[in-house]
Amino acid sequence: MALPPIVLIALFIGFPILLALGFSLGFTGGLNHTISVIGQNVHEAQGASPTFGAYGDLFVDRRFLGDLGVTVIVTLVSTTAVVVLATGIGLYLKFRGGVLGKILSGLAVVPLFIPVVIASWAILGFYSADGFLRSVFALAGLEFPVWSFSMVTVIIGSVWTSLPFATLLVTSGLQAVPQAMIDAARDAGASFWRVVTSVVVPMAGVPIIIATTFTAIGILGSFTVPYFTGPNSPNMLGVDMSNYFSAFNQPQQAVVMAFVVFIIASGIAAVYVWANFRSAKESGAV
Amino acid sequence: MAQATLESAAAPRESAPAPAEAKPRRSGKAATGLLTTVLALLLALFIIGPLVWLGVRAFADTWTYPHLWPDSWTTHWWQVVFGDKALGVAVQNSLFFAPLTVLVSAVICLPAAYAFARFEFPGRRFFLIGLFAANAFPKMGLFVSLAALFYALNLMNSILGILIVHVLGTIVFMTWIPSAAFAAVPRSLEEAARDAGASKLRVFFSVTLPMALPGILVAAIMSFLASFDEAQGTYLVGAPDYMTMPTQMYSLVLNYPTQVAAVFSILLAIPSVALLLAAHKHIIGGQLAEGFQIK
Repeated sequence: MALPPIVLIALFIGFPILLALGFSLGFTGGLNHTISVIGQNVHEAQGASPTFGAYGDLFVDRRFLGDLGVTVIVTLVSTTAVVVLATGIGLYLKFRGGVLGKILSGLAVVPLFIPVVIASWAILGFYSADGFLRSVFALAGLEFPVWSFSMVTVIIGSVWTSLPFATLLVTSGLQAVPQAMIDAARDAGASFWRVVTSVVVPMAGVPIIIATTFTAIGILGSFTVPYFTGPNSPNMLGVDMSNYFSAFNQPQQAVVMAFVVFIIASGIAAVYVWANFRSAKESGAV
Repeated sequence: MAQATLESAAAPRESAPAPAEAKPRRSGKAATGLLTTVLALLLALFIIGPLVWLGVRAFADTWTYPHLWPDSWTTHWWQVVFGDKALGVAVQNSLFFAPLTVLVSAVICLPAAYAFARFEFPGRRFFLIGLFAANAFPKMGLFVSLAALFYALNLMNSILGILIVHVLGTIVFMTWIPSAAFAAVPRSLEEAARDAGASKLRVFFSVTLPMALPGILVAAIMSFLASFDEAQGTYLVGAPDYMTMPTQMYSLVLNYPTQVAAVFSILLAIPSVALLLAAHKHIIGGQLAEGFQIK
């Protein structure tokens, strides 16, 4: 019963990734033949020993290294902002609730309703040269910077699109912390911040880590937001992959980028798996 | 209004443990209340602002910077969109692929979700993590990798090719969320039904399935939206023969006046908003969050 999705994934995700790994190392035979004939600047392996030519191309390329740095920075900044916002909203809902709490959590979920293409387009307009913020400041006689087509809008867009998912995960994790434990800590004289940092957040640690890893992986490989709202260069690797594949016709280099992103994402994924195992251990499942 | 509710909600909890402290802390609470209200307004501006700004544009005729409102209004852009054949075809394509994707994905994934929830089999956890790892590979990189295979299998520019791309994007939702929903159905209920003489199939369709239905519904909606929203893979595999609404949006943004893209955005957002409003309770209620913890 569990087989069909696994077969589908093995066939259309696992297998192509293995093929691509071979292609990135210069094995251009078999199913990789067509793409290596179409593509330019393809490095071919000598017999069975792989070549790291395509990797070498990129790692001496200043533009690639710059974009790699930009990708990591955008991921770090956006993920931090998302997790802080989501935790803040979740804590407010847990400790105060009320109408404002509902409004806050409702607001944070709104982006889930909006396709990413539209969100990117809307955000670009809002922060553009004739956008809302600049209009408001101009009416007050002030000059506001143009944020469209800069990394600022990419970060804003990433936070905007990632917020609902993280908020849902973190909020439900925080709600699951038993009120009795909070009351006990309060009765023992713990301040609000002490309760938050020593009781609530550690107890909701696993959902928070899961939300963090999902957000980070999503932003790391994102394409639509940086493509629409970001500058031509430097930009994130998702956009570079697409450019190298279609515009520059260098599929091998595009695939190498995918693996670079994948390696970083795997590091993050390992944290996710570890967090899940920890939670399973705590609940006695392992 | 929100402020008043906040005060009244906070009051009883405050007075119970430390009545002597109530007075000096009340002004502090008022300041915190004001701060949270300001933060909430900023969040509202951050989330809603861009959407309203874009929505207004769909009805704008002329708009001079830095006015906060268009100078004159028109519905001309709506006529442009509804009169354009290519845009109509894109709408049709989207409405064709999204339900089909949900159906195919449900047929493939729901039995697996049940198996993950109810049976212990070798490699179970490995497969669950495998599903997640497949999600960690960057989408753009996957489509680039898929291209080689699709060329070889003759799936480029085909309906089947697009369908595969769409279904791939829904597997995680369709497996994890229903799996958590199935796992949450108490076994004692199923056993009670069995003791009362119900067959295994009867138990599944009368007890297990109805109780897991909210989770399945959330999964179906998330899958529908994932398909409705999918642009990169569809563009790579289907363009220019099969354009869906999001892929059409790419070219709209580049080739049409801003207002046309604004109108199209509103149209594109309608199904998502309608569906999510329908399932709002279950999504907020934790069905989604529950599904993302591997057990």
